[in-house]
Formats: sequence, C-alpha cells, structure tokens
Amino acid sequence: MDLLNRHFRHWSLIPAVALFVLLTLYPVANLFRMSVSTIAFSEGREVWTFTPLANLALLRADEVIAPAVLNTVIFVVVAVALEILLGLALAILVAGVARGKGLVRTVMILPILVPPVAIGSMWKLLYNYDFGIFNQALTALGLPPVNWLGSTSLALWSVIAVDVWHWVPFVFLILFAAVEALPVEVLEAARVDGATRWQLVRRVMLPLLKPAIVVALVFRTILAFKVFDEVYLLTSGGPGTSTELVTLHLYKVFFEQNQLGYGALLSLALIAAIVAFLLVGARAMCAARA
Amino acid sequence: MIKHLRTVSALLLAAALSFAASALAQKPFADVGKQPPITVLISSSPWYPAFEKVVGTYEQQTGNKIKLDVVPFGGLLEKARNSVRSGQSPYDLMMLDTQWTIEFYEGGFVSPLNEIDTSFELPKEVLRYGDSGYWNAQKRWRTADGGKLMAYTVLGNVQLLYYRGDLLKQAGIAPPKTWDDVAAACTKLTDPPKAYGFVVRGERGNSIRYDWMSVMAAEGATVVKDPANGDYTVTINSPAAKSALDRFIDVLKRCGPPNYGSLGQGDVNQLLATGKAAMGQLVTAAWASFEDPNKSAVVGKMETAPLPSARSGNGAIIGNWNAVVPKNASDAQKKAALAFARWFVTYDAQRAFAEAGGIPNRSDVYSSDLAKQPRFRWMPAYLESMKFARQELGYAEGAQVEQILGLRLNQALIGEMSSGKALNTAAREIEELFRKNGRKTGALPPLPE
Repeated sequence: MDLLNRHFRHWSLIPAVALFVLLTLYPVANLFRMSVSTIAFSEGREVWTFTPLANLALLRADEVIAPAVLNTVIFVVVAVALEILLGLALAILVAGVARGKGLVRTVMILPILVPPVAIGSMWKLLYNYDFGIFNQALTALGLPPVNWLGSTSLALWSVIAVDVWHWVPFVFLILFAAVEALPVEVLEAARVDGATRWQLVRRVMLPLLKPAIVVALVFRTILAFKVFDEVYLLTSGGPGTSTELVTLHLYKVFFEQNQLGYGALLSLALIAAIVAFLLVGARAMCAARA
Repeated sequence: MIKHLRTVSALLLAAALSFAASALAQKPFADVGKQPPITVLISSSPWYPAFEKVVGTYEQQTGNKIKLDVVPFGGLLEKARNSVRSGQSPYDLMMLDTQWTIEFYEGGFVSPLNEIDTSFELPKEVLRYGDSGYWNAQKRWRTADGGKLMAYTVLGNVQLLYYRGDLLKQAGIAPPKTWDDVAAACTKLTDPPKAYGFVVRGERGNSIRYDWMSVMAAEGATVVKDPANGDYTVTINSPAAKSALDRFIDVLKRCGPPNYGSLGQGDVNQLLATGKAAMGQLVTAAWASFEDPNKSAVVGKMETAPLPSARSGNGAIIGNWNAVVPKNASDAQKKAALAFARWFVTYDAQRAFAEAGGIPNRSDVYSSDLAKQPRFRWMPAYLESMKFARQELGYAEGAQVEQILGLRLNQALIGEMSSGKALNTAAREIEELFRKNGRKTGALPPLPE
C-alpha cells in the first residue's frame, strides 16, 4: 500500500501517457512504417510490401520536390518576416493611440476568423485578370491589368500577399498584448533621458519585446510551413511549379497519385523540418530570455 | 342538335386526350419495386441539379428514398476511397470520374453489376463511352471483350466547340471545322482585353491535360502505343504530339487572355458566359449555364460543334462519370442501388434527365424530337462527337501520368520549357513509371529541344 501511495504520482500519469501513445506516437510510428513500404490494393484489401529503398528512390527521381522546397523556404521566410514587421509596427502604433484600441483590436481580428477556403475563393476573385477588382482599379487609373496569378514571376508573391493579409492580425494580437504589458516606468525613464521615438522603439521596446516576437515567429513559421488551403485554391501550385509548396506536393502524391508510401516519406520529412525549426526556435527563445 | 353533339363530342375527345396525356406523364418509367433507402456519393458538378431533379422523380414514382451526399470535386475521391476501405461502406452508389475508376476496379473495391443480379444488362441504346464501365482483370484494361460490367455512365461528358453564332455570322466566318479554321477565326475575332477569340483551359493538372488531349487525338498522337494489348511504349514525344502542343500553345497565346497558363474551368465558363470570349472548348455539361438568363449574358447566342479536326481527323476525349456499387455495401443495399440503375437507364428517365439539363446516356434520346428543340441544339454536335471520342489514361498509372503531363504541358505553355523538351521530359518520366511497375515499355527517340 505504501509503495502504491509513494508512486501514485507516477501511476496517475498512465491514462495521459496511454492517450499520448495512442494519439501521437502510434500514428507517427505507422507513418514511419508506411514510409518504408509500398502499399497497393487488391481484392479490396491493402497489400503492404516492405521496400525501404523504393520510396527514397522516388524522392531522388522526383523533379518537383526541389522547386517545392525552394518555394516553401521563400514563402516561409518572406511571409513570416513581413507578418512580424507589419504586426509589430501596427502593435506599436495602436498602443500609442489614446482612444479606440478595442475597436482596432476587434477589426484586426476579422481576417483570422475567415476560413482559409473562403479566403482562397475571395482572393481568387479579387485577383481575377478580367473581372477582379484590382485590375478594374488599375484599368480605371489608365494602367494595364496585371497577371496576378498567371505569371510565373508574380504568382508566388501574390500568394504571399494573401497569407500576409490573413496572418498579420495574429502577430499583431500577440505583440499588442506584449507592448501593452511593457513597464511604463522604463519607457518614461527613456523619455525623460531624451530618447527620440525611434530610439525608444529600437533601444527599449524591441529588446523588451524579444520573447513575444520569438513566440509569434515560432507559431507563424510552423503554420507557414503547413499552409495549404489558400495556395490550393489560388493556384494549385501553378503556373508551372512557381507556387508549388511541399504541402501541396504532398497532397498530390498522397491523394491524387495515391502513392501512400512515398507520401508518408514526404510527411516525415516535413515533420522533421518543422521539428528542426522548433529546436532552433527554442534555442533562440532561451537566448532572448537570457 | 347536330352542332351541339359535335361540340360535346369534341369536348369529350379533348378531355379524353388530356386525361391520357396526364396518365402518360404520370406513369412510372420502370417498375423497380419497393427498395430500402440508398445513399449516393456525388460531386457538386454543373450537372448535379439535373441529377437531383431526376432523383426527385424516381422518389416520387417509386416511393423509394435516395439520400444524396454532395461534395466538391476535390474531396470526392477521398470520400470514395475511405468509404470502400472501411468495414461497411456508408454509400451504396458512388459517382466516379472516369480517370478514377481503374483504381477501384483493379483494387477490387466495387461489385460487378452482374454479381449483384445476373440478369442485369444495359439496354443496347445506352452509349458505350469507350467501355469505361467494363473491366477485364486479366488484360488490366477497360473493355467489354472479356470484361465484367462494373459501372454505368451517369453523365457522359465530352468537350464541344462552343462558339457565338451571332459574332461569327457578323464577321462572315463559318463555324470552324479544323484547328486551322479555329486559328484563323480567332485571330479575326480577338481584341484583348475587350474580347478574346478562343479560350481553353491551360491551368496545370487535369485541366490542360484533358483539354490538350483533344488536339493530340486530332493530330493522331497517343500517350502509349497499345495499352489494350499490353504494349506500354511511351509515344507522347512523337512529332504528332509536338505538333498538337505547338498548335494548342499558338491558339491560346494568339487568341486567349494573358493569364492563359492559369485558366481553369470556371474562368473559361465565365469568359464565354459574359460574352468576353467568342469561342471556347468546354464540356457538354456546361451548356445549361449558357442558356440560363441568371448566369449568362449570351442566352440563345451560343452554338456548338464537334471539336475541330487536324491531320488525323476529329479528336475528343471522353470525361464521363461512372456509377459504381461498393463491394462493402450490404446485399440489400446493392440490390436497391441496382434498382435505381434499371430505372435510370430507361428512355423516359434519360429524357427527363435531358429536360432537367443533364446529358442523357441513350442514343434514342438524341434521335428523338427533343434534339429538334432549340434548347437542345447541342445534341447533334454531341452525338457526332461520340463517333470519334475516346477514353484516355485507362490504366492503373493514369493518375500519375496525368500529374506528369499536367505539369509538363503547362510548363511548355508558359514558356518554362520548349514543347520538345516538355514532351521528352514527360516521356522519360512516364516510361520510368511504367518500368517501375513492371510494364512492357520503351520510348521514342527524343524530339529536338
């Protein structure tokens, strides 16, 4: 009985551990098993064949994966950087406003509430070459219409712009809360010492906001790696491979081509990339705290 | 007195005729007996409203219930896969796009219709659609020759040439019969950005693959040499295929909107319906939207013709929807699903389907009085197209071949690759795919890049 009591805190963890194993470890283990297998269907049943090198060979021969990785990196770096910069700028600006902060916060939250599917459809209409509002505005100003989604050099940037529109409010909300929580006496002291507005932001606010910025950065980067709906609806990866992202390629391999083993391998690679980023992010967070 | 008698007789005759007509209109199209309710998986495609209407008629006439699970095109395949891979299928009937059927036939996921009822057969008037409903497991090919009946066509889409009769007449241009005619006519009619001479889907993926293949067929090119007999030598990089691709690119660049590389079905439909495009290549199912005043600015102005010809005659690719019965549905449900099939393929049901805006699958509907009505003026072009239209990608690797072609053709269209390089690259990738799967394959010498 004594033993049971002494170790109760360990036993009490069993349900949680069981749930974790069931919901997280088992699917990942199964994904790993799939990634070293070829899965076919016959007589209405799955037929698994252990082919550890076959999917790696597919990866090596896959000519779409390289542009997909490059586009994903560009997408993540540019979109997240812009979102952090704009979100931060907005947070500092709105925090300096004397009245109406609540209203701004409410309005800003709207894009986050819109489902990505609706965002994709809405922006596809806005970007439409012949009937979209952007080109109608340009034409009204006497400017030529722009091929927003059909040009290989512009399509990825058009997609990034949609993502920025969607997620800046999220960054804004995190950083706005952090700016509001900054110690007033420190800011006042800097002002008394004659710091300009820019110096106040650069030398005082930014160092104090570092932990919140890192949190926003980590969250946004993870979500940016996983972006799918908007790109799928806007361009489906085209024209050519100009907006092909890893998630989109993964979807096509898994669901359109029905290559389950290779799709599992790509999924694991994506998970590994996100975990690697998380580790780097965690280290950055520790450094920021220090 | 005689005058009164005549009047009374005429009235009685009129009443009798009217009663007979009403009785005729209300008679059940086919007696399929009392059946348990079934659930049908279907895509929210342009033809769905017509199908829904016909299902309503079936329910009204038979008292049998049908629940329709309507999902977007993009999500349907996944739902169908999950359904057949589970213990018991939540669906009793599933509508599958022709290119998906192989996976279900070959994987053993659907019940051959004669295994549900040995006496079931399709009436001879039902069009064959390249035997897409049959599967010969030994040959691994869709053919009635030694194959089992696995599905029937619910909607037999094929692309037509849509053109504005009024605009062509005004410009003194005859409806194009060849691709050269299309190029010449569209050059005259195009005036961007106000008007485009010709629109067709150039978007990466299924869009460009499917639309380009009509030109490919007209030029006499093929993807694979003789898949029906097991020869999977890749022939997509033939000079005829290159000529087809160059022609497709030329017409789109010359007469299409500047965003030709990302034009999807919605865009092509919109450009034609708003009157911005004079001609276009689109599926038959889109017809109904051009005749609907709520959706179209060109009601009564649109005409259709079979897709034009090139060196090898006319070419069109069938894109039909097939109704299949999942193997893991219960026996009673399978029988109920087949009962609906019996009803649906009758002349009356197909006529009602056409009147609701659908594309009937029976030849006798196309030769009926219906085809003479202005509303159905697309019917002669459709029937003509069915003489030369063919199925493509009818093998297990079809989905992957489509991905390869969908990308490489689009890259050629937007100028990322020359047409020769795009076809050589596609040929190499397709050959590798067949080789990996143990097919007898090979390749043509590469085209100049």
